[in-house]
Amino acid sequence: MLGYICKYTPVEIFEAMDTEIVRIEPSAVSFTQADTLMHSNICSFAKGVLETFGETDYEGLVFTTCCDSMRRLYDVLKRRFPEKFFYMLDLPRKVNEFAASLYEKQIRDMAMAYADFSGKTFHEEKLLEICRRKAESSRLRQSPAKEPSLRIGLAGARPGRELKNMLEDLNVEILFDLTCTGLARNFSPDSTQPLGSYSYALLNQIPCMRMMKASNRIKFIDGFRDRLDGIIYHTIKFCDIYSYEYEYLKNEKDIPIVLVETDTTPQCQGQIRTRIEAFIESLKISRGIARQKPDTGTSRQEDRPMYVLGIDSGSTSTNAVILDNNKKILASSVIRTGAKSADSAQRALELTLEQAGLKREDLSRIISTGYGRVSIPFAQRNVTEISCHARGAHFLNPDVRTILDIGGQDSKAIRINDKGEVTDFVMNDKCAAGTGRFLEMMARTLEISTEELGPVSLQWKEDIDISSMCSVFAESEVISLIAQNKEKADIIHGLHKAIAGKAVSLLKRVSPESRYMMTGGVAKNAGVVAVLEEKLGEKLFIYQEPEIIGALGAALYGLEDMKN
Amino acid sequence: MQAAKTYGNIIKKIAPEHNRAALSMIKGGLFLEKFRTGHLMDKQIPKALRYLNHYAIGNVLEALKHPEKTAWVNLFTPVEILQCFDLYCLSAEAMSSYLSGFYMEDALIDHAESEGIAPTLCSYHKTFIGAADSGIIPKAAFAATTSMVCDANVNTFRHLAHKHRIPCYMLDIPDSYSPEGEMYVVEQLHEMISMLEDLFHQPFDLQRLSETLERENQSKQYFVNFLDASVGKDYPSTLTLQMFMLFATHLNIGTPEILFFFRSMYEEIQSAPAFHGKKIFWVHLNPYYQETLQRYFNLGKDYQLITTEMNLDYMDTLDVSRPLHALSKKMICNLYNGSFERKAELAANLAKRFHADGVINFCHWGCKQSSGGAMLLKETLRDQNIPFLTLDGDGMDRRNSHDGQIKTRLEAFLELLNQ
Repeated sequence: MLGYICKYTPVEIFEAMDTEIVRIEPSAVSFTQADTLMHSNICSFAKGVLETFGETDYEGLVFTTCCDSMRRLYDVLKRRFPEKFFYMLDLPRKVNEFAASLYEKQIRDMAMAYADFSGKTFHEEKLLEICRRKAESSRLRQSPAKEPSLRIGLAGARPGRELKNMLEDLNVEILFDLTCTGLARNFSPDSTQPLGSYSYALLNQIPCMRMMKASNRIKFIDGFRDRLDGIIYHTIKFCDIYSYEYEYLKNEKDIPIVLVETDTTPQCQGQIRTRIEAFIESLKISRGIARQKPDTGTSRQEDRPMYVLGIDSGSTSTNAVILDNNKKILASSVIRTGAKSADSAQRALELTLEQAGLKREDLSRIISTGYGRVSIPFAQRNVTEISCHARGAHFLNPDVRTILDIGGQDSKAIRINDKGEVTDFVMNDKCAAGTGRFLEMMARTLEISTEELGPVSLQWKEDIDISSMCSVFAESEVISLIAQNKEKADIIHGLHKAIAGKAVSLLKRVSPESRYMMTGGVAKNAGVVAVLEEKLGEKLFIYQEPEIIGALGAALYGLEDMKN
Repeated sequence: MQAAKTYGNIIKKIAPEHNRAALSMIKGGLFLEKFRTGHLMDKQIPKALRYLNHYAIGNVLEALKHPEKTAWVNLFTPVEILQCFDLYCLSAEAMSSYLSGFYMEDALIDHAESEGIAPTLCSYHKTFIGAADSGIIPKAAFAATTSMVCDANVNTFRHLAHKHRIPCYMLDIPDSYSPEGEMYVVEQLHEMISMLEDLFHQPFDLQRLSETLERENQSKQYFVNFLDASVGKDYPSTLTLQMFMLFATHLNIGTPEILFFFRSMYEEIQSAPAFHGKKIFWVHLNPYYQETLQRYFNLGKDYQLITTEMNLDYMDTLDVSRPLHALSKKMICNLYNGSFERKAELAANLAKRFHADGVINFCHWGCKQSSGGAMLLKETLRDQNIPFLTLDGDGMDRRNSHDGQIKTRLEAFLELLNQ
């Protein structure tokens, strides 16, 4: 069995030689080997393949010159596994007669190289037969029986199988798959010139972003405009070429779009889920698709007051809010998330009930949100923290249009409209830079508590720039500033400026508009707030307890459920 | 240096609202630098390098003053053809480096990233996109790029051409040589030439191109002779001047001025005194601003840089009787094309030929083609007993290079060389 990578690979040639060839989907959980054998700043997909290739029984791998990371992966694998079959197919970026004949020659050379390696032979008639069979079976494929709730397009770089499964579970139809692996292999080569016409058809498919005429892609998308609800744009860490098209679609086309970046490890599943679900929720709202009537469990009794609980299970804190049917906040709590999110959720539930003077059975509905939202056993429904923050913010101040949430381990910018509906959002949950965790690390280095950071920094005198965004680099920068005897207040002010700078560039990606609201634990830091307000040129709206906005939003969803 | 930083900060402040004023300030700064390099440069720097520095700054300044006669290019674009249309070639890499010289790279990179461009993209490309899209550099009359060496080229130029409505030609260069591939590129060169003829209302002069390639052949011969002659000789330079060499070997190769430069360099080395320190062969770009590297290599008495292998990425003699075929071959057979093994072997051979005491490879942020091969290069050099060091950082974004990390690695390596 051979593996392949790119949709331009002539897999039918190998099939015509009776060799099974499958698209390789790595499942590495870490990149320890790859970081040593290549470099950490290489496309995560390439690293994943390198990490797991030794454990598979592929007899080799067929590459195309699709990108620099793949070119180097080929070099490294060839050196490591000299006995296996690795082939680099030089794929032209233009589609014209010259390019097609060049590609045909390349493919012919490749077939010969594999024949030498395997002792098998290639016959063009067999290629014709295989292409014919594939075309036939694609005609027979049935359309889904169920009417989909939404229709989206998939674009970008190699989404894993899980992403598609997730969309299927959400009853979302994928109208088109414009990713670099999405190709219905439906060719009809001409029997007089099988290989020539096959090579041309392969080259002449809808281009990927490394091809020269990628503008055809936009025309292709435009063809779906009447049916298309939104686009999910998937990219891979350190694969940069798709970001250009994302930029174009986001800034120049009026189609809802969400960017999902992964590093191909299974650890990304939670991050993917949050983004996809939040996106689907916002699309449903803007398309006016009513949610199904929820199962409320117990029957409603009109004569007695009703209470709902929203619980936000974050990576650093677990927050809960109880609302009554008049949308009054009866109680709220904020506790540190322990090793098990379900245990922390249980404690938050008990604490909040106690504060409100209520019992568990008084609660008519519980909605969970946050990263741990799926692992809270007592919640009846879960909603993403994006939608919940929007709901909570709009409830507290209907003038808010842009929300900046800086939590313990992630930060996000959310744009909402005058109805409190999410129109756009971006998240940073990949690195500690620009999050509460970053400040905690720096506070430790400076031997000061996180609560003191804000007040101390306001005393700053000398304007210091911390140039490193990366928390590891920033830490050593701070250490050298300490060694230079710089004032703590000035160093902290510099750190706050770095955080605020990162936050502003996050905000810029959602076309921000006044008024701004800040939520999350870092909103309690007066130093960060002051720098942000200076950068934005206006006051931020901050609720007295900025950490409960997500939980409040979840509770509001609970009330809405009860009214339906 | 502090002056450049303060000056850059003012430009950054006014840039969002006053593009024109920002551009005038950049031009003003370059004008002063041109004056300085013409009259006040450190006399320790060899005369030929001072000439190159002065010429390169003047060249960028003219390109900014005359956008209607300027083409945006990458480092591997066949500038020889553009010279035949009297165009200035402003490369994304060089312009970004100048802007970084004004300490402006952070704001421009942030601008590009906030548009949606990937943060993991090469900083040269992000800075150029930021500068073009925020309007602080004027749009060129033409753009040309090659697909080879770096993934970002095609996409960055497509982005710029679309956003600023610039006629653009993109050359698709095969990864390895074949006669068919050579013809494929020649056909594209014809297409690009007719596009240029239409745009600039000027017929293409093939004879002029042959003369340009003749000067290119002579220039490269002088350069190799210089390198051979410089073994054991004192020829101080700086990290910045090492980067300026790319102006000579790539962006302006073939011009009479560059031929003059290489000849002067060769003549100058004949009378250079002996050098008793260590010589380093550099691989890939260098972070010209990096303080520790500057301290050791700028006009170094103990350590000197020979050159980077980028300057030697194609050294075969060009066939001036078939200039388009020669350019086609030059691009396809570039050192950075094809397998990395080829490059690693050549780097080892060059290091030996020029008697390098050690090799330093710099992994520039966002450059997958070079970072991905770092370990292969290390293995190749180790097999040949050539001391080797890899440094990680960024050729121009100061935020991505960390002095502490570079300092420890470099000093340990230098200690090792002196054992």
